[in-house]
Parts: sequence; C-alpha cells; structure tokens
Amino acid sequence: MKNKIKEWLKSGQIDIFLGYKTLQGHPLPHAFGKDNLEDIDTLITGSNYYPLEKIATKLVAEKPDIKIGMITQDHSQRALNVLYIWNQLDPENIKPLKGDGCSSNLKEHADDSHREAGKSGQFKKQFGMNTHASIEEAEIFAQQERFQRWMYEFQKCIKCYGCRNICPVCFCKQCSLEHSNLIGTGSLPPEAPIYHLVRAVHMAGRCIDCGLCEEACPADIPLRLLYRKVNAIVTELFDYETGSRLDQSPFSIIGESITLKLKPIAAA
Amino acid sequence: MECKFVPSVCSYCGTGCGVIFQVLDGKLVGTLPMKTHPVNEGKLCIKGWNLHEYVNSFLRLKYPLVKTFGRFIKVRWDEALQITADRFKEIIETHGPDSVGVLVSAKITNEENYLAQKFTRAVIGTNNVDHCARL
Amino acid sequence: MTNSITEIEDAGCIFVIGSNTTACHPLIARRIYRAKEKGAKLIVADPRNIQLSRFADVAVNHRLGSDVALLNGMMHIIIRNAWHARDYIADRTERFEDLQSVVAAYPPDKVSAITGVSAENLERMAKLYATNPPAALIYAMGITQHTTGVDNVKSCCNLAMLCGNVGIASGGVNPLRGQNNVQGACDMGGLPNVFTGYQPVSDPDVNKKFSRAWRKNLSDKPGMTITDMVPAMLDGRLKALYVIGENPKLSDPDWNHFNHALKNLEFLVVQEIFLSETAQVADVVLPAASAAEKDGTFTNSERRCMRIHKAVEPVGKALADWQIISKLSTVMGYPMEYNSPEEIFDEMAALTPKSYAGMTYERLGLNGLQWPCPDREHPGTPYLHKNQFIQGKGKFHGIEYKDPAELPTDEYPYFLTTGRMFAHYHTGTMTRISPHLDIEQRTGYVSIHPEDADKLAVKNGDPLILSSRRGEMEAPARVTPSVTPGTLFLPIHFGENPTNVLTNAEAFDPLAKIPEFKVSAVNIKKLRA
Repeated sequence: MKNKIKEWLKSGQIDIFLGYKTLQGHPLPHAFGKDNLEDIDTLITGSNYYPLEKIATKLVAEKPDIKIGMITQDHSQRALNVLYIWNQLDPENIKPLKGDGCSSNLKEHADDSHREAGKSGQFKKQFGMNTHASIEEAEIFAQQERFQRWMYEFQKCIKCYGCRNICPVCFCKQCSLEHSNLIGTGSLPPEAPIYHLVRAVHMAGRCIDCGLCEEACPADIPLRLLYRKVNAIVTELFDYETGSRLDQSPFSIIGESITLKLKPIAAA
Repeated sequence: MECKFVPSVCSYCGTGCGVIFQVLDGKLVGTLPMKTHPVNEGKLCIKGWNLHEYVNSFLRLKYPLVKTFGRFIKVRWDEALQITADRFKEIIETHGPDSVGVLVSAKITNEENYLAQKFTRAVIGTNNVDHCARL
Repeated sequence: MTNSITEIEDAGCIFVIGSNTTACHPLIARRIYRAKEKGAKLIVADPRNIQLSRFADVAVNHRLGSDVALLNGMMHIIIRNAWHARDYIADRTERFEDLQSVVAAYPPDKVSAITGVSAENLERMAKLYATNPPAALIYAMGITQHTTGVDNVKSCCNLAMLCGNVGIASGGVNPLRGQNNVQGACDMGGLPNVFTGYQPVSDPDVNKKFSRAWRKNLSDKPGMTITDMVPAMLDGRLKALYVIGENPKLSDPDWNHFNHALKNLEFLVVQEIFLSETAQVADVVLPAASAAEKDGTFTNSERRCMRIHKAVEPVGKALADWQIISKLSTVMGYPMEYNSPEEIFDEMAALTPKSYAGMTYERLGLNGLQWPCPDREHPGTPYLHKNQFIQGKGKFHGIEYKDPAELPTDEYPYFLTTGRMFAHYHTGTMTRISPHLDIEQRTGYVSIHPEDADKLAVKNGDPLILSSRRGEMEAPARVTPSVTPGTLFLPIHFGENPTNVLTNAEAFDPLAKIPEFKVSAVNIKKLRA
C-alpha cells in the first residue's frame, strides 16, 4: 500500500496524500507530499479519526486543480460520493485508498469501533435519549415523551457548531444555522428544538452516518440517531440511500428557480 | 504546496483544549479538535473552533509604532527598542526603579512570563510586576 | 484546581458556585453533564439562572455577594446533622473549633434572610453536598471578584475540608481559570511578591538563589499589584508602565479613573497583537506574535503544562514576546540570549524545584504534565493534598459574612453583575474580529428581568442608560428570565458599552486586591427616542 502511494506521488497521479501519522503518541492527520517519499513509511492506516474528505474539500477550494489521494473507510467513500454529487470534489482528481477498517458491532451503519460512544449514564437513559438507541428503540416512547427526551438533549447544547464544523458533507458558504432570522443569536442554549431541527433537515439526503458529529459533541447529544432518522425518511420517500451511489440527490432541486406551482418530485 | 497539521493548545480560556491548526501555504485555514487530547477528547466550543480567525485578522499589529505629536508612526525594531530602553533608563535614573511597573499577561506563554518577570526584577530592578488575572 | 478536569466525571456530587460553566468553560461543563448523566447530584448557586441550573438537583439564586453566608449556612446544617467527616478533620486539619463557633451563628432562618435562599433549599444543598462523596466544588470569578473574594475562597475550602473532600479523586476545590495562562502567569512569578513557583521575593535564601542565577542583586521588597499601581499612577509615584499582552483599559474597574491614571504616566509601552484600547493611548506599541506563531507552553486550570507549536510565521514584523523582551533587555544592557523557548523553559525549571523541575519539552509531549512534578521520574500530580496537605494540616478559618461594598439604595436600586457570554473572550480584542464569533453577538447588552422591563416599559432591544456612582453608559436591553428581578447583567467584552464605567475601583479585596466587579448598585432609565 505504501509503495502504491509512493508510486502515485512519484508519477504525478496525485500531488498530495492525506492520511495519518503518529506524533508523540497521538495519531494526527498528515499530508504526505512527493518531496519526502520516505515520510510515507510512517503512515498509519488503522482507523479514521478526522474528516479527511472535508480537508480535501478545503484544499480544492483553494487549489481547484489539485490531485489528492486519501485513506478511506466505507463511510468516507460515501462522503466522497456526496461531495462528487454536489460538485465539491471532482472524482477525476481524487484517488481513494481503502484503509484497514475495523470491525464493529455498529457495522451496519458504520465501520469504526473506536468511534463508538461511551455508555450512556442511567440519568440520560431515564430522561434523555440513549446514545446507542436504534430508531425503533427511540420510537418506543410516545410522541410527547419522545419530544421531552429530545428537548432534554437539546438543552445541553453549548452552540459550538462542532456538528457542522466537523461534518465532511457540510460545505455551504452560508449556513442556515447562522441565519439570524431563523435562529436567534447570543444566548445559551440555542433556541430548542429549532437549532437542531434546522440542522437535521439539512442533513436529509446529505448525512453519510460517519458519526463524527456525535463524537465532536461536547454535550453528548445523540446527533447520529437524529440524522439517521431523517435519512430513514428520505430512504422511505425517495428510495435514496445517501452516498451509496453517484446518482443525483432528490434534494438537488434546491437551487433551481422557484415557481409557485407545486413541483412533482421525480420518481426514483 | 505546503499542507500541514500542527498540534497546539487553545488560548481562549483556562481549560486548555488540544487543537490542531490546519496550515496551507503558510496560512492558517482551520482549527480542528485533537481527538486524543486528555482535556477535550476531540471536542471544542465555539471559540476554539474559530481559533485561527483572529490570527489572520487584518487588524493585527504588523510594525512597531511610536507616538510622535499624538500620532503613531511606523518605526524599525531597533528604533522602537532604543526609544523604549532610553525612556526606561531615564525614568529609572530620575525616579528610581520602583517608578516603573510591568503588567504581564495571562495570554502569553510560561517562557514569556518568566522572562517578563526576570526583566522587571533583574533589568528594571523592581518587584512591580503583576498580571491582569484579577480582572 | 486541586483536582483534574477528567475527574469531575466521577464525582458523586458537583457544587457549582459563581461559574457560568457552559458559557465560560464549555469543555469543563461537558464533564459536569457527563457526571450528572452517570448519576451525580448537581447543585448550582448563582445569582442568575444559568444553563446548568436546568440540570441541577437544587438550583438557587443567592443574592449577589452573599456567598459566605450561603456557605456558612450549609456548614451549619452539615455540622448540626453530624454529616461532617470527623476522622478526616481530626487527622488532617486544624482549628476546626474556629469554624464551628462561627458557623454556629448561621442558622437557616438567618442565612435565608441574607441570601434569599429558602431554608428548605439550604437543607437540600447541605445534604446533597455532604452525603454524596466525592463532592467536587467548582467556582470561577463569581466567587473571587468581590471585596470578600478571599473570604469566599476560604469558605469554599472550609466546606470542602469539612466533608473530607480535599485530597481525594473527583473531589476538591476547583477554581476555573478565565484566561488560558493565568495559572502559568502566576506559576512563573508574574506577581509582585513571588518568583517562580511562589517562592517569596522576601525570603533571603530564595532571593539569594535568584540573584545568583540572574547575576544581579534583586529587591526583596514586594512590589505593587495592579490595584496598587492605579493610585500610584495618579499620585505620580509610578511614571512608566510596560503592558504585555493585556488590555487593562477595558478590563480594569472604573474606566474613567483608569483612563485618568494612564494619562498621568510619563511613558506607556504596550506589547500586543492588536491595537487594543490600551495600545491606542501608548507611547510605544510593540507588535507581538500570536499563540499560533510561536513555540512555548501554557499551563491550564488543572496545572497541566502543555506545549504549543509554531504553525505559521508571525504577521508583518511581529515578533514573539520572548524575543521582544530578550532584545529589549539586551538593548538596556542586560544581555538575554536565548535560541529558543526551550532554553528559557529549562532555566525556569531549574529554578522552580517543587513544581516544574521535573518537566522538559520532551517529557511534556502532547499530553503535558501536571505540577507538582519535582523530578524527571515524577509522573505529575492529578490531584493535590493526597494523604496530607502540602502545608501539613489543612487550616479552617472562621469567616464572618460581610456585605458587599455597595448595596442597592433608593438612588441606585438595582444590583449589577458582570461576566462573559459564550461567544466572546475577555475584552473582545480577539473574538470580535473573528467573523464566526462576531455573528453570534455584535454589540453589548444589558440583561433585565421581564418584571423589571415591564415596570419601565422596556422592550427587547430598547436602549437603556445605566448609571452608578462612577459614571453612566448605554446598552440595549435584553429582556430575559435568566436574571432575577432587581438584578442586571452586563457582558464585559464590548468597548463601546464599557461595563467598567459603572463598576467600583475603590472596592477590592484587601488581601487579593481583586476588584468587586460582580456587585455594584446602579440605576437604569430608558433612553428617550
């Protein structure tokens, strides 16, 4: 694998390779370049910790023609697909290299056991939402109770915007979360539940279930569950599995000129 | 092209969260939380996430300034340091070292705080050194 | 902090007093949330209804400045119910009798009258704190920025020792530091009476050691604190001031007074990253590198000394503060020739035997080390006073309650308190020019309870004039139940709404010299349209 990367860099197939390197015991993202090919021997491939796809998007925004190789797992391939669909990255310029994903009992929706959330405490289970709950488990509660449980979670929010900032598929230049007509500014917690629901709505057809948001959340809000729910709705209504294929998202009508007539949504 | 990731510590409060600065061609373009840091374990607050922004501000001071007839003029470092040294020495000679005070900072590094109090005590010759943490 | 940030998660009870943790120390608030969710009890005492209050088992709004009475009241109940740690007190502490005799005079009805907290809530607070060990006490500037700041801190220590919570994991007395390197600035001797590691300047052996190391005879007379410097500037004793990386003009109490003092100086040098309010009135401004542009170390609230790494070159001609100081010193005839911050660190560590001596850049790594770390093999210290207090026995202090310097009067009927909001930092020089932070809050404001707003027919956003005995200022109203009726809150970050026009520079703690930012009496009126 490392030889392959060296080969890519040497032959100019890529300008840079995004992976990980250990620094004083900490795995940190690292950009390997062609000027120092030996450096690639220090590449570590075990787990995916950081949003390399987002870093790639940022690089491309600065340097549109750059060719990037990167280490990926299943979810990062889904992230790349979403970024291709939304024209943030050009598949011609990206060379993914599959890393050693690790097995996980969350395998069905993810592939990285290191990112499994810690156990939810008793109090959280009693009054909030268990981080490990499936959609079905979360929907056992009657609507009113479910709402109260989510409101408990949302009230912990410290408005760090970490869920958005870490998200590999959040790339908008102007974010609805910062639109003061939509969400009031300047106080904690942010307006609940609107802040989290605005983000959830925007995750429909976008979220690739990588779990980085939940891992970045200082308040342990089960964001992954929330976005999984909106995506389950998308799958049900449009038969669209986000990031699984390279076909257009049902939400790509957004951005077209607005008509006052109801527009039938194209059949999948 | 230069693209690197540099570990550091957030400077926005006393918690001390681990961050990673993302650098592109000598410019800070982003801040990420360090996932494996013992203090913040991959999370940050709104200030930490935007730590790189103040560094890049166009309002940053770029040159030494000396006030002449009520207006700041840009000067070279050697001029600024000479003016400062001369004025300090003059005041110390006329009024004694205790007529000078130094305020160190809760925002600069340990090494710099150490040097600042060493400067106050060994160079100016007074213990009039304090910081603004009371404020 | 006597204890570590991660330890908070495993506390049995957390008592937060005078800290709006979710806004000011969000990643410490995270640990409080996690502790709560694991089953810890949470007590929040704050004059405002803060975000954490929503999750508390008991949340009370004690009257501004009544902390000593509140804490004495809790201790009264604890002793009355024999919930205190008798063996611990006997083995590890002294002068318990002093405390006992003072708190005996603080029965719930009296404390309730002073603090406004019901007797029932006092009982619940005392019971929760005393019967769910280990209990962590967390405070911030809400405890210290008072004329009774030292009394408040001592009372917190009394309570923690009373229940045997000092010297155990997940317990302790945990002041949260407001600025990133307050701990370091103090550890490094950025104080008028001590060298590094709190070694007194007046101790002959210490003074000799530093005099020898620095090859200069050093003064053994403690210098002036910032609070002493202001009057000295006004009466002409202090002629020159060298300000490094601070904006005291905005952060000092009583802006008008301080302004005047600065004008009186013959020479003001400001070393800064921005042309702050203080830098604007300086004679010489030296441009400094930011934290991303240099190497060095910071020490956080839990005494963890950590490396920062240079990520980019300084802007323009800016230099790191250590380089500027070295150069200035050399020009003044005392050569300082350091090639790197590491050389400075090693010099410092060698002179600081008890706390930093065992640290090197290599040992710090990315995790850092928590002092005390006296030798190269020492793993650092997650919590202090294990088995024995550093000073031998933990000393109790009987502390009587004293009123704050100002209480509301007919002329100034409102309590005013000040603090931070979540998106900004200190005087705002760094955060207000950061687009994503500016978006969150662009201007200053004054929080006012809906009942008070109704009385004055004030709506959200209406401009108000606030006045105190010192001066007056304007700010738009934010009508919110987060403050209690009769109390106003002003954030400190906004130079155009300078909080410190109103606060009281004359009132400060006699020992710590910390100004009473948290309590002043003010009046408000609507600015006529």
